[in-house]
Amino acid sequence: MAAAPKITAEPSYRDIDRSVLRVMEPAGRAYWAWIGFCFTLVAIAAAMWLRQIYSGLGVTGLRQPVMWAIYITNFVFWVGIAHSGTLISAILFLFRTKWRTAVYRAAETMTIFAVATAGLYPLIHLGRVWFFYWLLPYPNQRYLQPDFRSPLVWDAFAVSTYLTISALFWTMGLIPDVANAREAATGWRKKFYTALAMGWQGTDRQWRHYSMAYLLMAGLATPLVLSVHSVVSWDFAMAINPGWHSTLFAPYFVAGAIFSGVAMVITLLIPMRKLLGIEDLLTEWHFDNLAKVVLLTSLVVSYAYLTEAFMTWYAGDPVEQMTFHMRYFGPWGWMYWIMVLCNCVIPLLLFSPRIRVNMRALWIITIFVNIGMWFERFVIIAGSLTANFEPSQWAGYRPSITEIMITIGSFAWFLGLFSLFSRFLPIISMTELKEGIVWLRKAIKMDRVRAE
Amino acid sequence: MSTIAIISSFADDTRCAQAIEELRAAQVGTFNTFSPIPSHKIEHAIGRSKSPVRWLVLAGGISGVLTGLAITIGTTYEWHLNAGGKPLLSWPPFIVICFELMVLLGGIFGFFGVLMLSGVPTTVSAPGYDGRFGEDRFGIVVRCEEAEAARVESMLKESGAEEVVREDEAQPR
Repeated sequence: MAAAPKITAEPSYRDIDRSVLRVMEPAGRAYWAWIGFCFTLVAIAAAMWLRQIYSGLGVTGLRQPVMWAIYITNFVFWVGIAHSGTLISAILFLFRTKWRTAVYRAAETMTIFAVATAGLYPLIHLGRVWFFYWLLPYPNQRYLQPDFRSPLVWDAFAVSTYLTISALFWTMGLIPDVANAREAATGWRKKFYTALAMGWQGTDRQWRHYSMAYLLMAGLATPLVLSVHSVVSWDFAMAINPGWHSTLFAPYFVAGAIFSGVAMVITLLIPMRKLLGIEDLLTEWHFDNLAKVVLLTSLVVSYAYLTEAFMTWYAGDPVEQMTFHMRYFGPWGWMYWIMVLCNCVIPLLLFSPRIRVNMRALWIITIFVNIGMWFERFVIIAGSLTANFEPSQWAGYRPSITEIMITIGSFAWFLGLFSLFSRFLPIISMTELKEGIVWLRKAIKMDRVRAE
Repeated sequence: MSTIAIISSFADDTRCAQAIEELRAAQVGTFNTFSPIPSHKIEHAIGRSKSPVRWLVLAGGISGVLTGLAITIGTTYEWHLNAGGKPLLSWPPFIVICFELMVLLGGIFGFFGVLMLSGVPTTVSAPGYDGRFGEDRFGIVVRCEEAEAARVESMLKESGAEEVVREDEAQPR
């Protein structure tokens, strides 16, 4: 790809279009090699899954009492990653936050692919995956129905609603942008974008309905995003298992989800803005604000860790206390302290305004957050199962190669899909950036002053 | 007498909205506009009521709640599962299902409602549409009697239109 033309200090609508559409030009070999690499890993993971389906869950490291481990950890991790997209696209839309316009499309795209990745895990986790539909109510001869008191059934409804609504919300935002891409494209791309734009022309009649529906969809997505991770947390909190059974879980998980999700947005956007040459559209001002969200949610998560410890001590339940003792000082204690380091200590660096706009430092910090948040889920999910009510049942867990390869494959699946999207569809919303052009101009000016 | 279409383009929505207000005040012909962004100024100048899509979202939301109640209550009566002596109809868990289905159907109705009301998907191009109107120009296409064309053109120019052409003169871009 040719070097990006520097955008002017006072970008016009046309400059925005040019910068965003240039990213969608045909990609080079390195890009396709990366896509090939990602999907090779996906193919390996798929082969491992096929083997697991054929042989049964015995090929995993899952043994009593640790029957939920890496797969469920990955499920919760990816659902959590998804949350920042909806936070940025819906919640911050309702709050009329100015900096969201440049980052929301990428974040929302991340949401879709993260939920699509997360959604695979409950299926992968099933011993007989071909019976997955047993979780849904459907008429059958035996009058058997799912138990709606089970959080697993709520989860099926919550996650599938989340995927559908995020996909519709994302598609809606894409329509005007794709219509714009249609005008500039040639060849098969023109046909592709023409089909996707569905004849959108930006008439007053279209915008009138669009604006109203967009607002209402944001209004629906806002409580949805909070509900989804609450429901995910209830998968655990509704069980009487020590280490899980806590009313703290819903807000604790929602804060953690936004924390890890925004960190993942930063982790993806920093290399992307460089590789795609969109540094002028994704300015340091945008990253500064994203980093503030990471810092805030890090503090909330740290507070939740402390509350959890306090409640265990204050409630005085010996089984609960033993579980927490094992969590902090047991054989897996090192995971807990890695988690504390990554989620509570390292993000404190973001109090420094200089670090918040230092891309290299920010990238490294957010990678630590991603690692920390993965460990958090693992510590809660698998860790709590290792030391349960009966010491005679205590056991460890060691992931098998199947689980490890499927985990790696899911990261490749997510990154591959995201990379594919970033070159074929507008990764930055041209429409919204134009609407908030005053703020983009201010951000560019601030960046230039800082650089000088 | 035949009608003709006059296509005008504006550099910003303020001037475009001003032209719309003048056209409405003069009550000449009918018009529609094209813009790269949803503009409140233009929407205000046109002065239409709020989009009815909100009623569709409401209808979707209500049907979602009703569907939720129907499947939770209905399936519970079909399969009497006694879980720890809890009441057969356990309302708190049912709220979760009703809420999720409210959001799901509300969103689906909203999305397809906006498509239906906006007239997409379509393969028919609105008369006077130009690719620039998706990029950086705001356009007004006025359809009026031929006798009034000169008056409309001068009104558009006075409001700050960069370009005013009749449909038969417009060059496809």
